[in-house]
Amino acid sequence: MTTGDRSAGAADMIAVEAIGKTYGSGEHALEALVDVSFAVREGEFVTLVGPSGCGKSTLLQILAGLVPASTGRVVISGRPVTGPAPDTIGVMFQDAWLLPWKTAVENVEFPLALRKVPAAVRRTRALPLIDLVGLTSFAHRYPDELSGGMRQRVAIARCLVQEPRVLLMDEPFAALDEQTRTRMGSELLQIWEKSGGTVVFVTHGLTEAIYLADTVVVMGTRPGRIIERITVPLPRPRTIDMIGSEAFGRLRNHIWHLIAEVRP
Amino acid sequence: MTGWLIRLAPLVLVAALAALWEAASRFSFADPRLLPPLSDVLRVLAGLLQDARFRGDLGITLSEIAVAFAIVGPLGLAVGFFLGESLAAYRMFAPALHLLLSIPKSIFLPVFIFAFGIGFLQKVIFAVTLAFFIVVLSGIAAARSVPAGLVTAARSFGATRAQIYLRIYLPAMEPLIVEGLRMGLIFTVTGVLLAEMYGSPRGIGRVIFAWGEMFKMPELFAGVLLIVVMTVACNELLRGIEEFRKSRRRGFR
Repeated sequence: MTTGDRSAGAADMIAVEAIGKTYGSGEHALEALVDVSFAVREGEFVTLVGPSGCGKSTLLQILAGLVPASTGRVVISGRPVTGPAPDTIGVMFQDAWLLPWKTAVENVEFPLALRKVPAAVRRTRALPLIDLVGLTSFAHRYPDELSGGMRQRVAIARCLVQEPRVLLMDEPFAALDEQTRTRMGSELLQIWEKSGGTVVFVTHGLTEAIYLADTVVVMGTRPGRIIERITVPLPRPRTIDMIGSEAFGRLRNHIWHLIAEVRP
Repeated sequence: MTGWLIRLAPLVLVAALAALWEAASRFSFADPRLLPPLSDVLRVLAGLLQDARFRGDLGITLSEIAVAFAIVGPLGLAVGFFLGESLAAYRMFAPALHLLLSIPKSIFLPVFIFAFGIGFLQKVIFAVTLAFFIVVLSGIAAARSVPAGLVTAARSFGATRAQIYLRIYLPAMEPLIVEGLRMGLIFTVTGVLLAEMYGSPRGIGRVIFAWGEMFKMPELFAGVLLIVVMTVACNELLRGIEEFRKSRRRGFR
């Protein structure tokens, strides 16, 4: 287990440089994030974990270019983030946010449709991804005919169809039951290992945070900041059995105490 | 089987009411001078529809309704959408809106006559005034029915502002837009007829009112029946469109 800051280098896919976010101004100003800096290597799987209110979702939205930072900057794939960059960055949310009037495969095609990709090309790119997330026989179903887990699978496929180099995931499995969540995590790891993309994954689940990550970034609250950066020593590919191992337990315990100490 | 029964039930009800009407009048449960038999009313209606003067009045009323609806539908929805989207505008105008909504507009008919006369224009303006607020409320509800998450997700795929309005807002708001237009149509028809009955040289409302004063009950009921059938038909058409769209959108189940 190694801790501490790692300075940004050439191989970094994501460089977060002294990000701060303040809501409001004057007396009522709320500091959501203060001086947040970290770097993510290409192909690295980073989880952001922390108590509610630590600004981890805000941080992810800043990385995604959906919310502007008050101070500092984010550089992804060599370009400063100034707004959504769908060709580089794919974003997933806690809710799948599928268009209810489109079928699963049409939802996967939607980002391509926005970029005026011809219909035939869209279909040939979307269908293999529907297969990849195991929804072959549900391709032409509407979102309200799918379970919560299936809807998030569609959302994964919809992210991947843009062939992003970075996946930003904001508690994507938090609304699912525990078994589904663990299974979705394993499947995500398989997809990630195949595609070799870079992932930043926000969660409040410690087990999920360790199980998925190369590096766990632990955040504290009031104001939101990074309190520790932990490299997970478990080998790849990860298996469910590792969750019961002693090393896993020690790590989980360590993070639990880190968060418990900063919780107000 | 039960599905068919449920679909047929309204028709059966209408048929039963028609039979009751006919029987009540024929067997004098109701005074035939006040309530002429349905068959007589239908015969009078058939005659009226051949009559050039009556068809002229019908045409005037229908064009007043069409013009008023063509104005108030888009206008009310646009204003409602703006108020639904802008919190500042909503805070500024919502109290006035609710105040104006609760005022019975018909008591201002004399004022409308002084201001706009008793012709085509006055009918249109009054109907637009009557229907406007209800359509605005539907527009507000429609704008607010769009989940913020859908918009955020679309932004993350690089959707432009125009794409967000056309490909997220519009389809998401469609059910409430159609509902608002339906309400708007009902209020527009009411507004035109009210204004015609209150003071007008032409139009179905004027004609029906005159028959009432002259105690021409078969003609009166024929006119009323025609209005009812036409309004219900329009309403059902709009509802049918929405039901059809819904079944296409959500898949058949």
